[in-house]
Amino acid sequence: MTKYIIKRLLGMIPTILIIITLSFFIVRIAPGGPFDGERVLTEAVRRNIEARYHFDEPLVKQYARYMFDVLRGDLGPSYKYKDHDVNYLIGNSLPNSIVLGSMAMAVALVFGISLGITAAVKQNTILDYFPMCLAALGLSVPLFVVAPLLQQIFSMQLHWFPTTGWFMTTGGGGWKTAVLPTIALSFAYYADIARLTRSSMLETLRSDYIRTAKAKGMKNSTIIFKHAMKGAMLPVVSYLGPAFAGILTGSIVVEQVFTIPGLGKFFVQSSFNRDYTLIVGVVIVYSIILVIMNFIVDIVYAQLDPRITYK
Amino acid sequence: MKLFKKKKMVATNEFNQTVEGTSLTKEAWKRLRKNKMAVVGMVVVIIYALLAIFADALPLYPYDEAITQHQNLRPSLTRSAGELMLEQRLKNIYFQAWRNGELAVSEEDDARIREWVQESRTNAVWDLVYKYGEEARANGTFEFSRSAQRQIDRMLEDIENDIQITVNHLYAYDADGERYEVANADYQTLLNLYSTLLNVEPSLVETTLRNEVRTSVSNQVRANDETLEGEDLEAAVELEMDALGEEGYQERATQNLVGYIMQLARREAERDVSAQNSEGTITFPYKGSFELSSGMTAEIEASKMHERRYYLGTDYLGRDLLSRIIYGGQISIAIGLVGTIASFVIGILVGSLAGYLGGRVDYYLMRFVDIMYGLPYMLLVIICMAIFGRNILNLFLALALVSWLTIARMVRGQIMSLKNQEYVEAARSMGASTFHIILRHMIPNSLSVIIVYSTIRIPAFIMQESFLSFLGLGVQAPYASWGSLIGDAVSSMTLYPYKLIAPSVVMVVFLFAMNFFGDGLRDAFDPQSKNQL
Amino acid sequence: MKDFDKEKVILNVEGLQTYFKTDAGILKAVDGVSFVVHEGETVGLVGESGCGKSVTNLSIMRLVPSPPGKTVGGKVIFDGKDILQMSEKELRNIRGNKISMIFQDPMTSLNPFLKISTQMIETIRLHQDVTKKEAREKAVEMLRLVGIPKPEQRIDCYPHQFSGGMRQRVMIAMALSCHAKILIADEPTTALDVTIQAQILELIKALTEKFNTAVILITHDLGVVAGMCDKVCVMYAGRIVESSPTEDLFEHPMHPYTEGLIASVPKLDDGGKEKLFSIEGQPPNVIDLPPCCPFHPRCRKKMGICQAMYPPVYHKDEKHHVACWLYASKEEIDNALKEARDVRK
Repeated sequence: MTKYIIKRLLGMIPTILIIITLSFFIVRIAPGGPFDGERVLTEAVRRNIEARYHFDEPLVKQYARYMFDVLRGDLGPSYKYKDHDVNYLIGNSLPNSIVLGSMAMAVALVFGISLGITAAVKQNTILDYFPMCLAALGLSVPLFVVAPLLQQIFSMQLHWFPTTGWFMTTGGGGWKTAVLPTIALSFAYYADIARLTRSSMLETLRSDYIRTAKAKGMKNSTIIFKHAMKGAMLPVVSYLGPAFAGILTGSIVVEQVFTIPGLGKFFVQSSFNRDYTLIVGVVIVYSIILVIMNFIVDIVYAQLDPRITYK
Repeated sequence: MKLFKKKKMVATNEFNQTVEGTSLTKEAWKRLRKNKMAVVGMVVVIIYALLAIFADALPLYPYDEAITQHQNLRPSLTRSAGELMLEQRLKNIYFQAWRNGELAVSEEDDARIREWVQESRTNAVWDLVYKYGEEARANGTFEFSRSAQRQIDRMLEDIENDIQITVNHLYAYDADGERYEVANADYQTLLNLYSTLLNVEPSLVETTLRNEVRTSVSNQVRANDETLEGEDLEAAVELEMDALGEEGYQERATQNLVGYIMQLARREAERDVSAQNSEGTITFPYKGSFELSSGMTAEIEASKMHERRYYLGTDYLGRDLLSRIIYGGQISIAIGLVGTIASFVIGILVGSLAGYLGGRVDYYLMRFVDIMYGLPYMLLVIICMAIFGRNILNLFLALALVSWLTIARMVRGQIMSLKNQEYVEAARSMGASTFHIILRHMIPNSLSVIIVYSTIRIPAFIMQESFLSFLGLGVQAPYASWGSLIGDAVSSMTLYPYKLIAPSVVMVVFLFAMNFFGDGLRDAFDPQSKNQL
Repeated sequence: MKDFDKEKVILNVEGLQTYFKTDAGILKAVDGVSFVVHEGETVGLVGESGCGKSVTNLSIMRLVPSPPGKTVGGKVIFDGKDILQMSEKELRNIRGNKISMIFQDPMTSLNPFLKISTQMIETIRLHQDVTKKEAREKAVEMLRLVGIPKPEQRIDCYPHQFSGGMRQRVMIAMALSCHAKILIADEPTTALDVTIQAQILELIKALTEKFNTAVILITHDLGVVAGMCDKVCVMYAGRIVESSPTEDLFEHPMHPYTEGLIASVPKLDDGGKEKLFSIEGQPPNVIDLPPCCPFHPRCRKKMGICQAMYPPVYHKDEKHHVACWLYASKEEIDNALKEARDVRK
């Protein structure tokens, strides 16, 4: 097992390097530079700026320099936010995004799994239909509709929750600020997880080894939680990798609607501004999170399924 | 020849039980029909598709026609734009009156209005003061101020007189009195026509035209290479003009000429129609040919501008929301389809190559796919859109480029499992080539799974496109998509909730239907794979 | 051979009916099956695929997946109580404890996510009041009995680390770990290699004799029946067409179907000259079957009445019963024909 983990960890390194390289070059070959939008620069000023950001060097050298900096943990200066470097900007906003994302994921998992199992066990009853209708809704209503609607209903009309703000910022309001963004972000993933849990639970309950367990005289609850649970959770676990990726992008919308100072806002703005270092920095950070999440998912999967061999 | 006669494969056994032979598709269709939600979904999807395809044939206002006076009108089935405009103006007047203390409101309501103003619940305030105002006016306890009355009168006049004219065809007559259509005429004819209309020398017009073409070329050159300046720019433009040649110039100039003449004709038609309107010799809506005073004949459609009805309201530029939603649906659905097809083609290509060739090719292709999977792919799309320009083509490309991964994996898996099956061995033993085997044996066999998967993907594409449009990275004005409509509406949702609700409902219904239809299809074709997403 | 009729009857199945709702109609998988199992007796249930053997036994244990299946009639008397009427709790006390089952496919019948030890210990502790340690010792003992080498270590393995035959041994060990009164073995050797099959059957035979467990052995292999069973029930299209002590059945088969089955067993002693016998045709689809002998289209001795009405049961002697018109008197047949005509009118 340890060997397997180490091997998978080492396997992550080339992936991350390739991701850095790819995003660096995609951004660099793009037409238009970060300073295009501003007033026309004199030749001297332009040279000066280019020298400061090493634009005057050949691309390969820029790449090597950037790679070296990144490996030291320095993502470089931001071109647009001149007072701060990328590390500072990301470091300030990333925790907000991560907290939001993890809360949404946790909510989606708790509700998705529990309601999915109930639906499977109580098939064709109200306990099946209601959560599944909700899930069908969650699949079809885009996040950018859910978020404003929740805001409209629960903050503007009912005044239950504040419209904007974020509890982690100073003076950002209490825990209530976290409720609506979390629900909005988790909705679609609740839908997927509940449907997945239900169908895989149903399938597991039909399997031969569950019949064996019944023939042994096991109680229904024991059968579900001890015998069926592990097998039924496998598809859910492998879904979690892509789900994390989705939540990362989804949080862009939620952050925008609820004005949460997260990474998503920087990402969209920096791509409009062609703020190269910031874009690449955000992509690298997102990718690393994603790669780590996929790694964790793999390990959990291997833990759950004894048939996986650690080669 | 009984070639096209359907063979009925029904046999009866010893027990008088009928035994019917069915094909996979027939069986699947039977299963699909039994799934009520899937059938409903299918019908809804078909309706949407028909609306999108025949949008041009529907009696809709142009989706990009902005009428300034019609900004932010609320949806109404019964009332025309003019009435709504007037109501809005009255609401404003009453509100001003209330604020100035001219409109009496009960104490209780006064407090309520004050509270609402604090909370910026504008609609509630307007509705209430409007109610009071109308009552007060009926009782005779309130009269408009002079300036307010002037505003209302002017608006009433506008509502009566503003005419919207579209020129569909424009005909002119040449020296022999022969009629020709302006849009199809050649350069020289148009040049003569235009100069006659303006009453100037043709050479003068030609000089202007040449300058215009040159300016547009120069703009183009500068857009391509921003570093060019001064003499370099001049030289590049000169070069470009040479490349264009006389023919190219005439082509461009003709376009401009047609535009000018049409504009001229429209203005003239407007004037003439208004004149007839005030004489009362024309009825609206008018459709037909119309003699212009300059001697040309125009096929026009004329209607009173403020008699329009906006069943779903208008947006912040005064464009018809119904029309925008339908045309937006056209774009959204098209993106869903094109994205799916593109990812389908790339996926099948890569997947079947990797699966069939195996070995090193397979290894590297699949490692590449793995790494692509590791990328936050929506972010890549965002980068592509932001950097390579926000147009529909780039959107297609960006979505297609990142979405073939799953299909490639699926096809590879399918092919790997099919590869060892006997019929492929058989084909090989009879000397069929690799390409032939892939094309004729393997792809058809894995196709149903892939097609079903693609159906399930269409809503995801539509959602992704809308997501980008919502962020302002998708389709750009004047085009619309459901996402951009929703994105535009979010900022003003308290004031104009209908702008958010209408496109949201339309989109959600479609996605709902599509999801149910896709699920039904998958269950019908592959009843075993219920736990795949 | 031991005469089991003197032993106590421990299971009495009477008129069992299990139907499945399908798209095409009601599928009568089991339609009026009755048989008796005595203490320590081995009963064979023989028939072609799809004749309702497995469903009969799942119905006895109330394991028929519902929906679509439902046991609509009959009684299953165990120890004087009807299993079909029992509460969930009583039922759980029977399952695995008094009656246990082993299934056809050992590859899928063990939970792949749990260790063998977990699965065995939980069974033992479910029905017996023992500590975890005692249960483990008991499990190891059972594994040793079924011939698993090094059971102390192997018990902590996962099912996928065992071969098919070994897994079936584990299933047997698990099924017998509570000394069940009846072991239902649903084609226990079909999925295994031929060389393993005999070993497993021998094991079942030896262990059930040791624990004095009655066995209901489901199989389509008459050779297995001849070697294992004291009594045989032949099933066709959801009903038992003939039941008899094993020897009597092989010597004097009465139902044409049984004759056909016995004739189609390849024999080694005829020098390979004779062509293999086979019963022509396919078993019928049991949905909306008309009232007739379901075997008549394939029967070489069919008569007019066979197409009109299901035959009643004839008793050759106390133990040998058959459902076939061949043994009816002329009078009975005429009456039945008349009745059938009346019904049709």
